[in-house]
Amino acid sequence: MLVCILSAMVAGCAGMLTQTLPKNLSKAILNQDDPEIVRTGAPAYLLLLDGLIEGEPKNPALLTTAADLYGAYATVFVDDPERARHLTSKALDYARSAVCIDHPELCTKKELPYQTFIDVLKTTDKADVPQLYSLGAAWANWVQTHSDDWQALADVAKIEAVMERVAQLDKGYQHGRAYLYLGIFDTRLPPAMGGKPEEGRAYFEKAITLSKGQDLIDKVEFARRYARLVYDKKLHDSLLKEVLAANPAVEGLTLSNVLAQQQARQLLATSNEYFGE
Amino acid sequence: MSRLFSFCLPVLLWLSPAAAQATTFKIATIAPDGTTWMKEMHNGADIIKQRTGGRVQFRFFPGGVMGNDKSVLRKIRVGQLQGGAVTAGGLMDIAPNTQIYTLPLLFRSLDEVDYVRQHMDSKILKYILGQGFVSFGLSEGGFAYLMSNRPLTSTDELKGQKVWAPEGDRISRAAFESLGISPIPLPLSDVLTGLQTGLIDTVATSYTGAIALQWYTQVKYVTEMPLMYIYGTMIIDRNAFEKLDAADQAVVSEVMGGVFKKLNAESRNNNAEAYDALRKQGITFVQPSTDERQVWEASINKAMQQLADEGVFSPDLLKTLRGYLADYRRQHGN
Repeated sequence: MLVCILSAMVAGCAGMLTQTLPKNLSKAILNQDDPEIVRTGAPAYLLLLDGLIEGEPKNPALLTTAADLYGAYATVFVDDPERARHLTSKALDYARSAVCIDHPELCTKKELPYQTFIDVLKTTDKADVPQLYSLGAAWANWVQTHSDDWQALADVAKIEAVMERVAQLDKGYQHGRAYLYLGIFDTRLPPAMGGKPEEGRAYFEKAITLSKGQDLIDKVEFARRYARLVYDKKLHDSLLKEVLAANPAVEGLTLSNVLAQQQARQLLATSNEYFGE
Repeated sequence: MSRLFSFCLPVLLWLSPAAAQATTFKIATIAPDGTTWMKEMHNGADIIKQRTGGRVQFRFFPGGVMGNDKSVLRKIRVGQLQGGAVTAGGLMDIAPNTQIYTLPLLFRSLDEVDYVRQHMDSKILKYILGQGFVSFGLSEGGFAYLMSNRPLTSTDELKGQKVWAPEGDRISRAAFESLGISPIPLPLSDVLTGLQTGLIDTVATSYTGAIALQWYTQVKYVTEMPLMYIYGTMIIDRNAFEKLDAADQAVVSEVMGGVFKKLNAESRNNNAEAYDALRKQGITFVQPSTDERQVWEASINKAMQQLADEGVFSPDLLKTLRGYLADYRRQHGN
């Protein structure tokens, strides 16, 4: 009887844990204004997530949370490239597992040809957006840490397609972050090589509008990717100064905004050197 | 503080006369910032700055901010830039003989390329110098291959296709016309859109190019027959370069020569990796039969000879190159 009650309590507790703990802890991380606390504290939480996923390997909320946090931790806080590659691979595995639950055809081991992949993406709907967004973000982080790998570079077109689909299904998801990614993709190449910086600019502006200017990384990437590509120092510096003047404390965006301000300072410091003044 | 500063400044200048005489080469390219080319050229520039005590410096304009290869060359002529990192195609106007390596269906393998380049690179560099530019070495871009929405293994199959040729590229146009095809001229910037909208359905590029420019997303087949060899180089205006003293010239030549040697080797590895990546992405590779290949070669060789006879590039240089190719093929029994 006692065993029964205890196990029922544990089970109940575990159930509650997997429902509310990831959400609350994610919130605590995202609202943290001291990146160093996250740098040192996040690994314990990542371990906890691994454990929770062991118990519920098909819980999409757990899998996407793990994908998002492993990917972000690896690209922001891990300096060792080998470790970063390992952790972004883990994040991508989690994101794929999450998408797999409803769309097994999107996570097959064998690479889908691009056109087939696009056709499969068309079968997704609004309910799939959290998993799709996590897949796109984790995949982009993975490519970022494998930038010398041609297999990874070949995936960029598919990541772009995933983010286009997210924007199409739910444009305001995560403060319009899908548009931020689309802006980055369109400013990857100069116009002479087929890049579309002006379309990229429109995406960055859309992301800024959707986040009401509160997601500061939008302006940082707008400056880094677009203004530097088209050699517009005035725009570059004014965007970054706006970022530095803003209050970073925004629900769900504080950590990202504090990091964005750090990057804005670095970009401003190298502005004269880059633009040759 | 500002007084202290104004006092210090002349002293500092006086203490470092070398900096006052520094030469800065402004070099533009369409290669985006952050690419291997840019990283290696920046590294080279840092070493040169250090070894010349700051007398020779480079300032790079990446990502096409100074326009395409043609505008870069125009800006060099008017003195706005001193140099550019450009593709061989971009050198057509100032040094047409540089096109000799890029003639369609000239090489059948990279081994043939290595043999010919080993004997002829120095001739090409000397020729570029004669045209008023210094180059420190050529860097491979790889072979371009035909890529299409259909398998193309014969000229008949190619005839029904909408084939892209780079805008203003007389050599590609002549080659395709010799096969009975009227190619559709487009600038590089419009090719992906052209493929997406169906304006064109057949392109030629290297394996790395197909991935970096995302053209691979719009094709299903690659004809695994080297269509043409692609390469690039950095050139500096000869007059500007020769204003450096001899020792500094030697440092720049040595360091940038090393940079281009390294880029040349890396490109080959990159293309091999990109080939695997394209296969993994589900692209199918097809090959024309030997007989069919001979048909293509015969038509195109004739057209190229005609261009040489018209003086588009040197017939003598073409003869020399074909001589080396014949040597190689004789030695290797093909």
